[in-house]
Amino acid sequence: MSMKFQTVERDSIFTRLDFRPKIYMMLVLTVVALIWESPVVQLALAFLILIACFFSGVKMKFIRTILLIMIPFYLLLLITHGFFNISQVQSLTGKTELTNLFSIPENWWLIGGLSFSLEGFWYGINTIFKTLTIVLVVPLVIFTTDLDNIIVGMVRARVPYKLAFIFSATLRFFPLLFSEIGNIIQAQRLRGLAMEKMNIIQRVSVYAKVAVPLILGAMVQSQQLEIVLQSKAFSGDPDRTYLHESILSRLDYAVLIFFTVFLIAAFVSWAVWGFGAFAGPTDHFLF
Amino acid sequence: MSDIIACLENVSYQYPRSIEPVLSEINLSIQKGEFFGLIGPTGAGKTTFCCALNGIVPQFYGGRFFGKIEIAGLDTLEHPISVLAKHVGQVFEDPETQLIATSVENEIAFALENLKVPREEIIRRIPRVLEMVRLEGTEKKHPAELSGGQKQRLAIAAALAAQPDLLILDEPTSQLDPVGADEVFSTVSELNKELGMTILMCSHASEEMAEYATRIGLLSNGSLLSVGTPEEIYADIPLLINNNLRVPQVASTFYSIKQKNIPVSIPVRLEEGKKVLTELITKKTQLTTPDLKDELVHKEGQPLIQIKDLEHTYPDGTKALHGVSLDIHTGEYLLVIGQNGAGKSTLVKHFLNLLKPTSGTVVINGIDSKKLTVSALAANIGYIAQNPDNQIFNMTVWDEVSFALKNLKFSKQEIETRTEESLKSMGLYEYKDRHPLSLPKGDRARVVIAAILAMEPDTIIFDEPTTGQDFRGAHYILDISRKLHEMGKTVVVITHHLYLMPDYAERVIVMGKGTILLDAPIRQAYFDTEKLNSTYLTPPQAVLLSIKLSELTGEAYCLLTPAELASVFTTNGGAA
Amino acid sequence: MSATPRGEEREVKNIGGASIDGAPVAYIVVLAAVVTALAFIPFSVVMASGGSFPMNQGIFGLIGWVLGPIAGAVSSGIGALIGVFVAPHTAGVWFVTVIGAIVTSFAAGVMGTKNEKRKSWWIGVVVVTVIAFAIYVGRALLVNGIRLQWAILATFVNWSSLLLFILPTRNLVAKWIGSKNLVLVAVGLALGTWISFGIAHTVQNAFTYTMFNWPEEIWVMLSSVIPIEFISRCAIGAVIGTGVIVGLRAIGLVKPTEAIY
Repeated sequence: MSMKFQTVERDSIFTRLDFRPKIYMMLVLTVVALIWESPVVQLALAFLILIACFFSGVKMKFIRTILLIMIPFYLLLLITHGFFNISQVQSLTGKTELTNLFSIPENWWLIGGLSFSLEGFWYGINTIFKTLTIVLVVPLVIFTTDLDNIIVGMVRARVPYKLAFIFSATLRFFPLLFSEIGNIIQAQRLRGLAMEKMNIIQRVSVYAKVAVPLILGAMVQSQQLEIVLQSKAFSGDPDRTYLHESILSRLDYAVLIFFTVFLIAAFVSWAVWGFGAFAGPTDHFLF
Repeated sequence: MSDIIACLENVSYQYPRSIEPVLSEINLSIQKGEFFGLIGPTGAGKTTFCCALNGIVPQFYGGRFFGKIEIAGLDTLEHPISVLAKHVGQVFEDPETQLIATSVENEIAFALENLKVPREEIIRRIPRVLEMVRLEGTEKKHPAELSGGQKQRLAIAAALAAQPDLLILDEPTSQLDPVGADEVFSTVSELNKELGMTILMCSHASEEMAEYATRIGLLSNGSLLSVGTPEEIYADIPLLINNNLRVPQVASTFYSIKQKNIPVSIPVRLEEGKKVLTELITKKTQLTTPDLKDELVHKEGQPLIQIKDLEHTYPDGTKALHGVSLDIHTGEYLLVIGQNGAGKSTLVKHFLNLLKPTSGTVVINGIDSKKLTVSALAANIGYIAQNPDNQIFNMTVWDEVSFALKNLKFSKQEIETRTEESLKSMGLYEYKDRHPLSLPKGDRARVVIAAILAMEPDTIIFDEPTTGQDFRGAHYILDISRKLHEMGKTVVVITHHLYLMPDYAERVIVMGKGTILLDAPIRQAYFDTEKLNSTYLTPPQAVLLSIKLSELTGEAYCLLTPAELASVFTTNGGAA
Repeated sequence: MSATPRGEEREVKNIGGASIDGAPVAYIVVLAAVVTALAFIPFSVVMASGGSFPMNQGIFGLIGWVLGPIAGAVSSGIGALIGVFVAPHTAGVWFVTVIGAIVTSFAAGVMGTKNEKRKSWWIGVVVVTVIAFAIYVGRALLVNGIRLQWAILATFVNWSSLLLFILPTRNLVAKWIGSKNLVLVAVGLALGTWISFGIAHTVQNAFTYTMFNWPEEIWVMLSSVIPIEFISRCAIGAVIGTGVIVGLRAIGLVKPTEAIY
């Protein structure tokens, strides 16, 4: 587990872009993914973002971890929507009878007689790729941005300087606190705490108790941090100079304009023609 | 007349909600170009003094303030901290909490940005200050990639970048290993000598302070007891001892010699000490053979801890131990030394299964450690880790000390008795209902020791027990270790403070780059300067003086302490 | 002081450092860093919001009580946001996680505020929660055809916490957390965690339910799972909170102005 804030090593259009257009892109894509319910466009969008992640050098391992963690949840989505989402897809598709893909034999205990619908399946696919888009756009934007650019970009985007500072200082200090967690647990084991013999609930309670010395230790250190900040003339006043500049290039403006147009187009086409709606024009060939 | 950078007139200060003043009646002027050393035991008010010079005291803390402080002509109560910060740069003890940015260049730029220094000027200053502290080319590094000494040097560079009139360093080396401490001291001294930077430094490191400072002030209970040259202060042994301050070994040695009516000056620096020693010998002062205690031999029967061909590689690929073999017998007092990263902690963590061997074996009491759990091992091998604060997790001192006993499922009666006993032996019984974190740092360290000793382990490991402790605190803990040793327990101490150990340790393991460089009795190990130097350790001054003495006389003197060294000189009957 | 000092007593202007809503920036930073560090420790899977339940959820309420509503929300929000970036495997949908952190701390901080100007802030929280509840349950009943009884049962944590927040229990929780009696502190923390997290859960579900549209069978299952998860959250909130509050009182750090402990 890497404790450092990761950045991609490859140079790409994403690393050349300023933080502001990228954050804007992240917000627009998230909103659009929320509006759309068509499995076809969701799949296309998630696929595009995945390609962009590969292209910009986001580590495969990272993407794999996300997918591995999400898979059980995705299976649950697929199963529940396939079997149980009946009334919603009925109203969305306007069908009274759903297309049955397969049924579970009547004699099976508890779940016997359930049928898995094609429409429910596609709805599940929509939700899966919707989440995937929203999750993957984060590393695409964050990991391709230099930390300095994040902070300065935040300030330039009118995020109050204090917030930008807290963001940056938190990034500096959390790895220290994370290693404290290990130290505290080690200290407890050195006092006879037999983690090996514990069940999950007991272990959880050990971890919960770790938070107490962790927070108290951090609060004690914060007093020191406060003095350090003051001795460095920190006042939280945004009227200061900045070592790193953040000037929007033509490319940045182009991206901002592109995503504004994209957002409007996506919304209008969805509202007027049902583009991206479930079972709408984009899903025509599925049902 | 030289310019005055800092001027304190009748300064007294009291924190809010406290009755006693923490600074009282301080009068002092610091001149441009001085290296002013401030010494005093823990709790004397050194940190408050430092914070008063840039206005944090009293502007941030509040409280009652009397008198006047002027920094570069600015009254510290009439100018905001951010204005004073332009004139006073400050470096603190903990390398971790004082670096707040995510890269070296941002760290240096941070104060400058706050001071509204134009960007072009910031860009100009960064390489300049990095060069001053010899950290060129590290601009883009993350602070986590730097060693302890480098971190402190970066903190110095960041303070220098604002081009202050005064640079304050509050215990900048106490968390560092000898290499790091040396880097910091030589950097600061260079800044002082070559660039004329005015320095105010607080430190427990007497030898270095005597070496580098131009003037020393002794702070005790908030009062400036004495101000003078290092020669005046450090040669006044009774003054230092009365204030629980460590005497540089050179001064201590010649003071003891002088006590024997041998006319001799008391030098405070090593080089002068060697000169005085040479004079003594050329004057044909009489010498006797020292009466040294016999070395104990423990190597009998089955070893308590048996390490064979131990290798350890961390998950990130760092190879920390390369084939280490070692036997530890019951009743030994073992000292493990070596630079940071030499593998000291990695080695002892294997005794407790906190780390598992990559290859090789660890056998504890005849049983392969792989078959034992950490908690089972911990009951027999008490491990007192470095920072007491992340070893405290209960709401009262009593619960803290009985925590292990409950885990080990002792009877209620047994828990009561053992907890009470352990608290009393550490002098903590009266605090049993207090929250551990409400106690001062030295006492918190003792709570942790009490909590480990309550398990009545046969072996006790102290990992850097004296880091961040003053002279008295360090000896309090080491005296405990000696008492345990006298009770027949096996004691292992890891430390950088070689000068503290001759009165305690018997056997020394010198580690370097993941191997054991030397395993020898302390008297032999401390004189193997070559091996010590190869892992960046320097023997205590008494040892260096003994080596000089051997050179001068052609006889081998293996003396470890100022007292032993002084004992060689016979009392002068009175005739000069 | 024992003897009058010779120096003239000076007027001390307490300028203080940078703060947000009376909480020093340094406190906000370290608590945000704690939130991020605890994001790495997974606790249990929360299906409704898609992702697991990292340990940091146990302290969002506490941060609100220690730092006050605004500084608490800033600290939890930034900590959770960075947690999403560095430990995405515990976070799920990023903005839902961040919103949950912000709302929990804010709702907690608003409870029993001693600040006269903020006596009516709770109404704002209620309005937002009611709207979120309407979106969530309204969609379930009207669009997705969930039966009323399941809608009521599965949203037990949501409406119960809203009711407890509207009722004077809101102030009682704050009073208990500020009490000297540790049992009351623990009970106050447990109840406060239920309320503040229940409110955040409602706001979160207005988003997640719109995304996932769980069918009735899931509601049936959730009606028993969610309260159990909430009880464990309350237990964790009480354990951590009591230890931290007792410790903070013992250390005697400068208290943020909006703290209620």
